[in-house]
Amino acid sequence: MLDDGKAGKGASARGNSRRTENRTPGPVDSSTYLDLTVFIKEVDHSPPFVKVDDTTSRAHNGGLSTINLVGSADRHEVSAIILDPGYSSVRAGFAGEDTPKSFVNSHYGVSDAGKFTFGDDAIHNPLAGLEIRNPMSKEGIVEDWDTATQLWEYAITSRLTSFKQSDPRTNGLNDPSEHAMDVGEVEEGERTLGEHPLLMTETAWNTPKNREKAIEVAMESWGCPAFWLARNSVMAAFGGGKATSLVIDVGASTASVISIHDGLILKKSVQKSPIAGNWLSSQLRALFASTEPKVNLVPHYAIASKTPVDAGAPAQATYRKYETKIPDSFRALQEERVLTEFKESVVQVWNGMGRLNTVNANGVSNSEYVKSQPGRVFEFPDGANQMWGVERMSVAEGLFDERAALPVPNEPALAKAQTIPEMVRQSLAAVDIDLRPHLLGNVVVTGGTTLINGFTDRLHNELTAMYPGARVKIQAAGLTAERRFGSWIGGSILGSLGTFHQMWISRKEYEEFGVNVVEKRCK
Amino acid sequence: MTSLDVRDMLDLPDSGSARPAKKQKLTAPRPVLKGLAREVQNLSGDNPIAIVPEVSAFKKKRFGSRKPVAKWEQKPFKNSARDGDPLVLRHWRRKTERPPVPPVGEDGNVEMGEGVAPKAEEMVEDSTFAKYNVRVNVPEYTEDEYNAKLQNKDWTKLETDHLVGLAYEYDLRWPVIWDRYEPPLPAPDAPDSLLGLVLPPKIRTMEDLKARYYSVAATMMAERKPPIKMNSVEFNLHEVMSNFNPAIETARKKFAEGAFQRTKEEAREEESLLLELKRILARADKLNEERRELYARLESPPSTGNIGIYSSSQGLQQLLQQLMQASKKRKSLMGNEGISPAAGPSQQASFDRRDSSVRESISGPSGSNNNNNKKGPPPGPSERRQLTDEEERIYGVSRHERLGNSGPIYRHDKISKPVITKSSVQQTKIANVLNELEIPPRLIMPTVEVGEAYESLLQSINVLLDARKLADKLDGEIRIARQQKEEREKAARLEMEMGEALAEAGEGDEVGSGSSDSKTDEVGSGSSGSSDSKTEREKSVARSVRGGSVARSVSQGHKRSASVLSAASDKSTKKQRR
Repeated sequence: MLDDGKAGKGASARGNSRRTENRTPGPVDSSTYLDLTVFIKEVDHSPPFVKVDDTTSRAHNGGLSTINLVGSADRHEVSAIILDPGYSSVRAGFAGEDTPKSFVNSHYGVSDAGKFTFGDDAIHNPLAGLEIRNPMSKEGIVEDWDTATQLWEYAITSRLTSFKQSDPRTNGLNDPSEHAMDVGEVEEGERTLGEHPLLMTETAWNTPKNREKAIEVAMESWGCPAFWLARNSVMAAFGGGKATSLVIDVGASTASVISIHDGLILKKSVQKSPIAGNWLSSQLRALFASTEPKVNLVPHYAIASKTPVDAGAPAQATYRKYETKIPDSFRALQEERVLTEFKESVVQVWNGMGRLNTVNANGVSNSEYVKSQPGRVFEFPDGANQMWGVERMSVAEGLFDERAALPVPNEPALAKAQTIPEMVRQSLAAVDIDLRPHLLGNVVVTGGTTLINGFTDRLHNELTAMYPGARVKIQAAGLTAERRFGSWIGGSILGSLGTFHQMWISRKEYEEFGVNVVEKRCK
Repeated sequence: MTSLDVRDMLDLPDSGSARPAKKQKLTAPRPVLKGLAREVQNLSGDNPIAIVPEVSAFKKKRFGSRKPVAKWEQKPFKNSARDGDPLVLRHWRRKTERPPVPPVGEDGNVEMGEGVAPKAEEMVEDSTFAKYNVRVNVPEYTEDEYNAKLQNKDWTKLETDHLVGLAYEYDLRWPVIWDRYEPPLPAPDAPDSLLGLVLPPKIRTMEDLKARYYSVAATMMAERKPPIKMNSVEFNLHEVMSNFNPAIETARKKFAEGAFQRTKEEAREEESLLLELKRILARADKLNEERRELYARLESPPSTGNIGIYSSSQGLQQLLQQLMQASKKRKSLMGNEGISPAAGPSQQASFDRRDSSVRESISGPSGSNNNNNKKGPPPGPSERRQLTDEEERIYGVSRHERLGNSGPIYRHDKISKPVITKSSVQQTKIANVLNELEIPPRLIMPTVEVGEAYESLLQSINVLLDARKLADKLDGEIRIARQQKEEREKAARLEMEMGEALAEAGEGDEVGSGSSDSKTDEVGSGSSGSSDSKTEREKSVARSVRGGSVARSVSQGHKRSASVLSAASDKSTKKQRR
């Protein structure tokens, strides 16, 4: 089989694994079709992005700025907007930029009067007595379309399109909690999105009904001239600079492992499990409940003042009293923020050889070894602080070893199939053998929870132990923002490519074929 | 610090020149010099080094161009790859100054915006990326063609359609096609569903899908264009597709799977085994080498070389020198007496070069020499990577017999030669044919492939001309034969008339024709032979008429043998008889 010129250039870097792949008849395979590989190749040449996977260089030159993009040979800006909704946050921004300009918490507040408030600026106010909700389901797909639409609209209009001096309510500079969005905003959105093609991401397990709803919202409510629905795993692969890759995405609500071939997901390889950021929070809660003394998780808003105490000593803090009752959902969100802080600063994945409970060559189990090492101190909002030793590793061990997971009350025990190595195994087992070595050589890790210390090292160890014969190469962005916004960045790359503009579903096509055009086109 | 200060410190006498004067001198270049140059200047002291200050002229140019800022505008564009979809997007483009278009000028543009818009829509530029939209070709077939050629007991037409559709949609990315292949449900009114059975959809492996697709594609390819007419690329594709063997592919994948799922220990074991094998092979090589050497020493060296060069006196002299050299090397007993002083050193030099080709060509075979040659580094070409046939085809490597038997030739001779070597009549004929085919006598783009095609075309033209020539010849002969036949019939009629008169003489003519028949046999067969026999026959008829009934009885036996000998003439006789 002949490799076509473009693909060949890119493929050379992939090395030997490519050779075993699909060398069957059919030089037809080599035709120079427009494929997503081409998209990625073009990104590789384009000066502003220099190299998509080269994270350091981008850090130094201050990131991708829009100034250079105009008129560049490969890039083709049509001021498309990329919208990447997730369980914990909504990312929105213009195609061609390196980070989303608009980053909005997916949780929104509902006041007693039933008015919605969006955005981190507004929803963390305990005085407002807000009920916190999330339009997304635990699987990362939209449940509440009405609110989701408003939330996304807020994400787009607050930072991207309607930057108008005349309307202080929506520019994000004022306190929006006092001015709830009214119906007039929808018309505003309709006008402002009228010039921008919209590229939206979705999970691989999104339902056809949801997909149709998405295009309906974009076309009918927002009046987009063109629309495209892309899989967020594919976008993450593009963000990592790969068209063929095994994407391991561990976000807030779900972890997924999906094989991507030439920019198309392999549906049989889709693996997902709830072992993600929220699960880790529940592990932490279970840990806090089981430690001696128990850790009392008090969010920041409930603390009036605190005095420093010794490690392990009970907290000495005065608590703030609120006249109105604080809804449980509000407290849960605030507790979650403390847990996030804890995860960011303390939690670590065992990244040495083997697993946490395996015994090493000296006859000492790894956990014993960790116990001998100095731990990390974390001070809770109420001033209580403690050294966390082996616990900081054992909470995250369940990501890789189901037996090490802490038992959480009212929740079923972790199944083996839900751990990340097992998901990788199952995902790979569902693809063609010729593809597997290639996929293992292009593992893309994305999602906020993968930022836990030592995650990629551990993943690499697990994968090499599982597939000793294959060459495992993990591509994980070094910058925090790039790891968290991997799929948005991929969308940004895709949306700014000249060759992509023939793919858009235009308004005319939508009017001609109706909502199911999205099923036909966005495979 | 200047040298003056140093002198001052060391209480050295002043060098003469006054301090203020010096300062005066130094002030001139000082303000110009900067950085390192200034320090160097300071070091030099009394005898200042001439440092030419660097003139940085480019800095001035920075502000030299006072052009207005480049203007950019959002221009609409369409993408012709969108199959006629009128989606118009906008992108930033450098504003081009086109004075005739805006008649009012820059200010008028805003007002004009609305009016110009429809006109601008018409000349919306096409996306430069539209050209990258290339789709893969998939086989197309009609219902009849499917029924005639593509029937398969494992596949319904519905499934085949689905497969081909997927192949088109996913540009023959087989992993994706296999992933997305879901056997379509038969339509409710299909005959299968009448039975009330819902057959469980067949699980198809990627090999099944590929085998089906390739068979369909190959069949349709052959259907659209017979394999004989395909060019080499098409033919190769057709060959590859029609020779696809799913069994081999499955076996290969099984092996790949096995190799992929090796454990670490197995991988390590295999690696060590490979190392061991390598070592054994290397040792075997060495052992063989030693053994060969031993044999070579034990046995007298067989004279495989050509002894022809030793047949002349010069050759003998060379042989003598060579032998002496060899024995000298072994014992260095022999003197120089056998060698002429002039030839000595040069011969020596050439002999010392171990693997010089000179030596190889003249030296007789001797064990140690051969060994030396073998141990040397392998010759150059083998160090280069050997390309496989396939790679050669990809890279367009071709090997030419450039320096054939006839020495160097021009490559264009290859094109002109087949024409020029013909006679001028032939040349014009060939030219006529080429004219007819509308092919210029001199190729416009003589690439290798075109050249090959041209050569084969010329060949077929030659065949054609030969065939035409033969056809003409045969035509002529047929014409002659016809004329002869007419003449013969005329003669037969004449004979009949005469035969009535001379009833007996009719048979008697065979006497003379007996000898003539055997003669015609030698001349040849076919129509040319018959014409000869015809003349003979006429003569003999005349003779027999004249001779009357001479030796009538003898002719009977001759007649029979003659008819056996020459079928052609016999036929003509029979015809004549009738």
